[in-house]
Amino acid sequence: MDTYAVRTLRSQPLRLALTIGGVGLCIVLMFFLLAVYRGVAEGSVEYVRRNKADLWILQRNVTNILRGSSLVSLSCRQTILGVPGVESASPVLLLLTTIKKEGRSRTVFLTGFEPSTGMGGPPRIAEGRTVGADNEIVLDRAFARKFKFRVGESVDLLGYSLKVVGISTGTNAFVIQYAFVTLASAQKVIGFPSIVSGFMISVKDKTRLGSIAGKIQEAFPGLAVYDQATFLENNIQEMKSGFLPLLYTVAAIGAVVLTAILSLLLSVNILERRKDFAILKTLGSPKRFLRRIVILQALLISSAASLVGIVFFFPLVSLIERLSPEISTKSSLGQILAVVVGVACLSLISSSISIQKLRKIYLLEVFR
Amino acid sequence: MNNALVNSTVLRLENVSKIFNGSGRGTIGVERVSFEARTEELLLLLGPSGSGKTTLLSLAAGLLQPTSGLVQLFGKSIESYSAAELQDLRAHQVGFIFQTFLLIESLTVSENVEVVLRFTGKSRKEARSRAASLLEMFEIGHLAEEFPATLSQGEKQRVAIARAIANGAGLILADEPTGSLESKQGLEIIRLLRDYAKSDHGCVVVASHDLRLVECADRVLRMEDGRLRSSS
Repeated sequence: MDTYAVRTLRSQPLRLALTIGGVGLCIVLMFFLLAVYRGVAEGSVEYVRRNKADLWILQRNVTNILRGSSLVSLSCRQTILGVPGVESASPVLLLLTTIKKEGRSRTVFLTGFEPSTGMGGPPRIAEGRTVGADNEIVLDRAFARKFKFRVGESVDLLGYSLKVVGISTGTNAFVIQYAFVTLASAQKVIGFPSIVSGFMISVKDKTRLGSIAGKIQEAFPGLAVYDQATFLENNIQEMKSGFLPLLYTVAAIGAVVLTAILSLLLSVNILERRKDFAILKTLGSPKRFLRRIVILQALLISSAASLVGIVFFFPLVSLIERLSPEISTKSSLGQILAVVVGVACLSLISSSISIQKLRKIYLLEVFR
Repeated sequence: MNNALVNSTVLRLENVSKIFNGSGRGTIGVERVSFEARTEELLLLLGPSGSGKTTLLSLAAGLLQPTSGLVQLFGKSIESYSAAELQDLRAHQVGFIFQTFLLIESLTVSENVEVVLRFTGKSRKEARSRAASLLEMFEIGHLAEEFPATLSQGEKQRVAIARAIANGAGLILADEPTGSLESKQGLEIIRLLRDYAKSDHGCVVVASHDLRLVECADRVLRMEDGRLRSSS
């Protein structure tokens, strides 16, 4: 019956090609969503992950830097440094602002840090160098590509001219990209030289992290103190809660479309070959033989479509990244395998829907 | 073929009626029909179109349940078989031959025969080997890899017979098996069926309106308007 399953599919080559194409497109969509998710997940939290502070201090009730505004007085720094066991307290100022090039404004997530410690600066430099002076800026690679900024060029940051000295990676959060300047420059932009978003703390003895955090919290009840792992997890959860529902919705639509296309083809195949199925039933075919035909067809189509999906995915991603550099993707073999297995499961669901049609094929139809 | 079945009753109908109630008013398919069919016998159900021959074959195969009366297949009432048992019975013990052959067009000649062998659990290799020997027996071995669309009507019917007897069926039900054939080919087909009945201890029930088949039949039952009129 395997031969029958294959031959009946091949007997309608255009329909088969359209179905494989349709299912393949759904698979490409799923590959793409997963790749975007991983790309965004990395870009959104890479800044926190790479800046290995022992403790993060922010305004109370602010749990993350992705979707929270924290304002803390810079004067807290001295008191924090006075807590026994604190080695350093590096201020960082994060704010949404715009930079201009050739009269056009572009929004960035401006990050002011102290170049002397490097804490809070770009996680990775892909080109050029990090910020060293107040008139310098480092831009995210996707941002720079999209708006055609190059190292050595000047940009306008709310009236201040800054020179692009470097391009960073791991700083693309999909909807917004990081840009790095000195703390002083960022404070000039905000207009309050005594305000920062928070502090990144290094401690001398990591085994005493809990007690140090407790002492800082005691000294500043209006601030929130997080260890690195908690703060990273907070940011990951924030990113997921904002992004995953959208991703799941689109992926679910893709899965439903895929299942519908496949069910439709399998059902049409059964109805067109109704007489064959009636003959097989009359001749004594066990139910499993007939089911096997439908299941095999579903798996053949989903396998072919997965192959089409894999072949088209990488060139497509490359094209999309060229057209929209802010869309950063990250793929792995595990992701691809997960989608392929998921599609195989969906194809089994499709075949089980179509198999219901077999019940309504009657033995006596052979005499019609 | 099971030796226990030699010279025994394969099919028995007793006062069998079938009334179709599809349109709200009862249409008689067959009415109070009684007969037996035995091994090593070719029984001809002779009658014009609409006389109830096909209904009778459907009842005999368990494709239809009688409205009243008793249908016994291999010594057991058809009503006592479960759906799965009937399916198993059709796969192992009942062969079908149709007027329009009903071969599966997307399978080769050999695969059309192999498919019923696979229903009974034979391996791919066993099925292929058995199909090859059957096709050789019917002198169509050279057509094994052809598709049905390329065959003549006579060749198609030979394939259908090979398929019907592939599992050594005890009962072959043939519905107008010569209806699409020239008279010479038709007689050849009936002789093949008769040979099968004699040499393999099978029972062949042929439903036809073709009077020329009478000379090949062991017994003839004449049907008209759903009733048996006479036997000879």
